[in-house]
Amino acid sequence: MHTDTPVIDVDRLVRRYGRTDAVDGLTLRVAPGRCYGFFGRNGAGKTTTIKCLLNLLRPTSGGIRVFGLDPARDEVAVKSRLAYVPDAVAFYPWMTVRGTLDYFASFRSRWNQETERALLDRFRLDPRQRASHLSKGQRTQLALITAICPEPDLLVLDEPTSGLDPIVRREFIQTVIGAYQEGDPGRRTVFVSTHLISEFEGLIDEFTILEHGRNVLTLDADTARQRYQKIHARFATDPGTVHLDGAQSVRQRGRDVEVVVDGRSTEVVDRLKARSPEALTIESLSLEEIFVATLQPAGAAA
Amino acid sequence: MRLEINFKSGKPVYLQMVDQVKAAAASGAVQPGEPLPSIRPLAEELRVNRNTVAKAYAELERQGVIESIAGKGCFVRTNGSPLKKAVRMELVTHEIDAAVIQAHHLQVNKAEFLRLAEERFAAFQQRRDRAANE
Repeated sequence: MHTDTPVIDVDRLVRRYGRTDAVDGLTLRVAPGRCYGFFGRNGAGKTTTIKCLLNLLRPTSGGIRVFGLDPARDEVAVKSRLAYVPDAVAFYPWMTVRGTLDYFASFRSRWNQETERALLDRFRLDPRQRASHLSKGQRTQLALITAICPEPDLLVLDEPTSGLDPIVRREFIQTVIGAYQEGDPGRRTVFVSTHLISEFEGLIDEFTILEHGRNVLTLDADTARQRYQKIHARFATDPGTVHLDGAQSVRQRGRDVEVVVDGRSTEVVDRLKARSPEALTIESLSLEEIFVATLQPAGAAA
Repeated sequence: MRLEINFKSGKPVYLQMVDQVKAAAASGAVQPGEPLPSIRPLAEELRVNRNTVAKAYAELERQGVIESIAGKGCFVRTNGSPLKKAVRMELVTHEIDAAVIQAHHLQVNKAEFLRLAEERFAAFQQRRDRAANE
């Protein structure tokens, strides 16, 4: 669909700390206008990758392009077009909310005052409050305002909602959906790293699952939900051990059989139907369940 | 009109929206000429990407269910599908084939099937009449 230059182009990226490969040959590409999920467990290499994108870390080897540019050589050109919300947000403690926003705006060529007002209002942030007196949730909200007002082409979010209460999380995600994507949606790209996948379910167009610094799975979200399905069958009597080719995992408890498939659901359904079950249901896995199924291969399901 | 997204149905999210808007239009829950919600608030409410809503609306427009008027938004069409009669018949034939196959495997015979079809047409007509009287 997109023939444009990828917004993010990571090519066989390696980043080593001492003898540990935090990122080990990662390749991924993010097309403009997409909301891209970057999923992995703690320590999978998400933050290291993001720091390489932002030129906060230099890659050991491999290539990184952002907007087709080298984030190290063209640092200003890249950074002026993106905004970043890290997992732990820190502001100058002596500045007020107002002062912090003015300070951030001074580095930007564009700053949407109307969006700023609307978001301060939505988050009920007091502009006179000192940054040192803000709660963790309020600091994240302030960071989100500083990221959205400059209307960047790329918004990078690193574990943005971890440690926030459910209401703040909801507002956070709604704000990302609404305010950020206003304007020219074809050019606005979101790259969000998280392990709280269910909250972002509806937002994600495409995702990569990362494990040990490697790309385990990259898929379009709708395609993923069509491919990964959970089939549940109940039989009148214990069917004995059921052998099913093409199943990702099979769980059997007495008369109940639960099968997770990756793209071979008709085959497995036909095989189960041949044994005339009392009941048979098929449902898609959520992105979070796909994440778990991918990182917990056959047999390991507890 | 209320839209509900089920991520476990296996059907792409934008197609769920397309089918629900079409069902709402067929049952009179939205009337011809009535506006659809604009993209941003609907995306926020359903907690989905606005690309998904935009894709659903584009598909509805392609199928002739809605029309978009520049600067005003999307509206349910009055004069229906822009497709030729033969093409429309063919599209419905595909859907009926799927239902006939399903009926065969569920041991629903022709007479029962036709009675069911009559009932469903009547049910939608009734809903449209009720919606028109409100």
